[in-house]
Amino acid sequence: MRTLDTLPAGVDAGGGEFDTGIPRNWMTTKLDYVINWARRNSLWPMPFGTACCAIEMMASAASKYDIGRFGMERMSFSPRQADLMIVAGRVTYKLAPVLRRVWDQMPQPKWCVSMGACASSGGMFDNYTIVQGIDTIVPVDVYVPGCPPRPEGLIYGLLMIQEKIKGESLADPRPRDESAAAVGRPNLPPETIELVAQPFGNSTNQNRMSGLAPTSALARARDRRERRLEHRD
Amino acid sequence: MTPATTATPPRMVSATPPGGAADHPSVRALRDRFGDGVQRVARDAIGYPVVWIDPRLNADVLRFLRETPGQAYDFLADIMGAHAGVGAPIQVWYQLWSMAHGRQLRVACEVPLDELELDSVTDQWLTADWLERETWDMYGVAFRGHPDLRRILMPENYEEGFPLRKDFPLRGRFSRSTQVSRALSRDLVDIYAVEELEMAGYALTEDGEAAPPPEDGAGTAIRELDAGEKPEDALEGAPILINMGPQHPATHGVLRLVLQLDGERVVRCVPHIGYLHTGFEKTCEYREWNQCVPYTDRMDYLAPMLYNIGYAGAVEALLDVEITDRCRVVRVILGELNRILGHLLWLGTTAIDIGAFSVFLYTFQERERIYNLHEAYTGGRITTSVTRVGGMMADLPVGWTAAARDFAGTFPDTLDEVERLLSRNAIWQGRTMDIGVLGAGDAVSYGVTGPTLRASGVAYDVRKARPYLGYEEYDFDVPVGTAGDVYDRYLVRLEEMRQSVRIIEQALDRLPDGPINIDDYRIVLPPKGEAMGSIDTMISHFKLVMEGVRVPAGETWYSIESSKGELGFGIISDGGTKPVRCRFRGPSFVNIASLPELVRDELVADVVAINASLDVVLGEIDR
Repeated sequence: MRTLDTLPAGVDAGGGEFDTGIPRNWMTTKLDYVINWARRNSLWPMPFGTACCAIEMMASAASKYDIGRFGMERMSFSPRQADLMIVAGRVTYKLAPVLRRVWDQMPQPKWCVSMGACASSGGMFDNYTIVQGIDTIVPVDVYVPGCPPRPEGLIYGLLMIQEKIKGESLADPRPRDESAAAVGRPNLPPETIELVAQPFGNSTNQNRMSGLAPTSALARARDRRERRLEHRD
Repeated sequence: MTPATTATPPRMVSATPPGGAADHPSVRALRDRFGDGVQRVARDAIGYPVVWIDPRLNADVLRFLRETPGQAYDFLADIMGAHAGVGAPIQVWYQLWSMAHGRQLRVACEVPLDELELDSVTDQWLTADWLERETWDMYGVAFRGHPDLRRILMPENYEEGFPLRKDFPLRGRFSRSTQVSRALSRDLVDIYAVEELEMAGYALTEDGEAAPPPEDGAGTAIRELDAGEKPEDALEGAPILINMGPQHPATHGVLRLVLQLDGERVVRCVPHIGYLHTGFEKTCEYREWNQCVPYTDRMDYLAPMLYNIGYAGAVEALLDVEITDRCRVVRVILGELNRILGHLLWLGTTAIDIGAFSVFLYTFQERERIYNLHEAYTGGRITTSVTRVGGMMADLPVGWTAAARDFAGTFPDTLDEVERLLSRNAIWQGRTMDIGVLGAGDAVSYGVTGPTLRASGVAYDVRKARPYLGYEEYDFDVPVGTAGDVYDRYLVRLEEMRQSVRIIEQALDRLPDGPINIDDYRIVLPPKGEAMGSIDTMISHFKLVMEGVRVPAGETWYSIESSKGELGFGIISDGGTKPVRCRFRGPSFVNIASLPELVRDELVADVVAINASLDVVLGEIDR
């Protein structure tokens, strides 16, 4: 970002029509930068709190942790005026259509944080009633581990969302693509849902999809060796 | 070598008073009145009698026990089902308490699988409504004469069966992808309850199913306006429905209320629960006794240690072991701290609901101080899992008691501050006084417990009625309200926090030295040094780690006073390392059932205040 006190040569100031008496300061920047800057610093979270994690989310909003420091104190209880869904707590199959509907009601651009082990993978509840990871139902941007995560953990997850927004570009509309056919449908194909519902399935799958942590035993050994070599250079 | 599993003989102290169960006056009266209808008489692990009766007589026996003056079992604490194994009959337990005589009794019956029917007792106790629905939902026991026998925790069109039966697999009958797609593909008519469709004017088919709305919209609340017609004319006579929740900031969780309004007055309220049904009871049947402890925190995440303590107490009752004096006092301190923790969250969120935001910040500051105490002891802020069967996860760390004493000394200042803000505040009084009044008789019939019951003028507190953990040795008062409205519930909870501080101070004064865990190494892990030093202790250690604690066959329904009310644990063991049945009688589940009655004829804005005043936690309602 550059700030100019004087107009660049050849630029017409446009007469006195907009003269406010303030010295003309000009700022040139990338459109992406300024849009992402505005989006990431005034996220309006939609707290989809169900269980223990919701209590830690409340603690994050209270005086000690004060989520307002990051421009997020404006909790939006209506999905239509929100752009960040924080799913805090376990989600049951009975609640699944509600979760999907709330997500569908949120306008783009929107992001989703899955807070805690239950929301991310079903956690310690591998049983008949708990959804084995909300990413089977809605797309998730950041998973926050913990049972429940401490407020610091949640805040770190929210900073990661801000970091992610920084990298978005208007030239690449894919993250904001939303087809009408997907409304009210599962987020993953059936065979993937079966895969992530295996014991430890979702955490492994999330690692694999992140591309950051190789998950097969062979890859892991090789990966470690390569990383050592990189550090030596 | 014989598998000697203990280094020292266990300290077995019987908690049972002398005298057989058959001498109990209620048992004698039942024998005289019903003869062979009383099949056998057993004893609960904590001593009171259990009367097994002919299932065809259940309503008659309960009516006799409730209405005979010498019996007067006016409080139905719990109805629970249990299933011992595939093919076994379903057991149904009725847990009774007589307020007048201070007596506890359980009536139980075995219902054969081919004739799963019992008479409903909803005409005797209002609380039976939801408890019977839950038994139907989980075990498929049909209650004849129940006014509205529908599923309560599972979705109403749940097709996989009755989850708590032993032949039902833990992960459900359908594959995960089928479960997801079925959950998402429910259309409106399926999702919404039959009852509320009826309220909205949808036609019902003959078998009570909701018929799809007619094409022209006739008979429904929503219809096209005629030319020149004003919207208010179209609404004339049509019920106004408001759907509140499950995603709503003021329902304290994923509770859903369907309200039928006449102007701003509530005509009818239908609560829908089960959106957070986590399957704790089923999952615990697949876990070892100590592995169930982490599940208990996650039911009441506002006061987690109370659940830990109650669960450990119930299993210790089955084991018939006496915990050490130090452990008993530590549990009292932690329990009372958590009572404050739960009440503080209630206070902060209720104040937000009614419009006073700053109280939330004050109470959360104090909660953070309790969290620090939790963290110093257990490492966790909310999910503490602090107890083990036979003791605690560890002894208190150095300096902890001083920190607790500091908290107890300074916390009442915040309470005073809150009281100055609210108690005589005209808006607060206007929003809470004479709102949501619950009379004493109704409260007992609804099975309401805890501060909500005491605000209605009934001085029933498990800590006084059936003292556990040595509560009879502490000097504390049980605050009781007079009006039974939202304001009284607020005052009672405020006073309870002060009483908890009193208990904590007394407990800190008397905290004895000595071991925190019992020395029976069949139950608690031996210290590492001993496990490495002697072969017997090492074998105990190995068996405990590999298999877990073995709890002798037996059954108990044990209860404590949690921050929300009477928290019951109905536990059955077959002598193995895992429970056969682990029932949690969440006080919130029973308390919230009284909501439709409390909000009737109140303003819709007061629904929020009344719902908040019941202090419910959805994790415990839905379990």
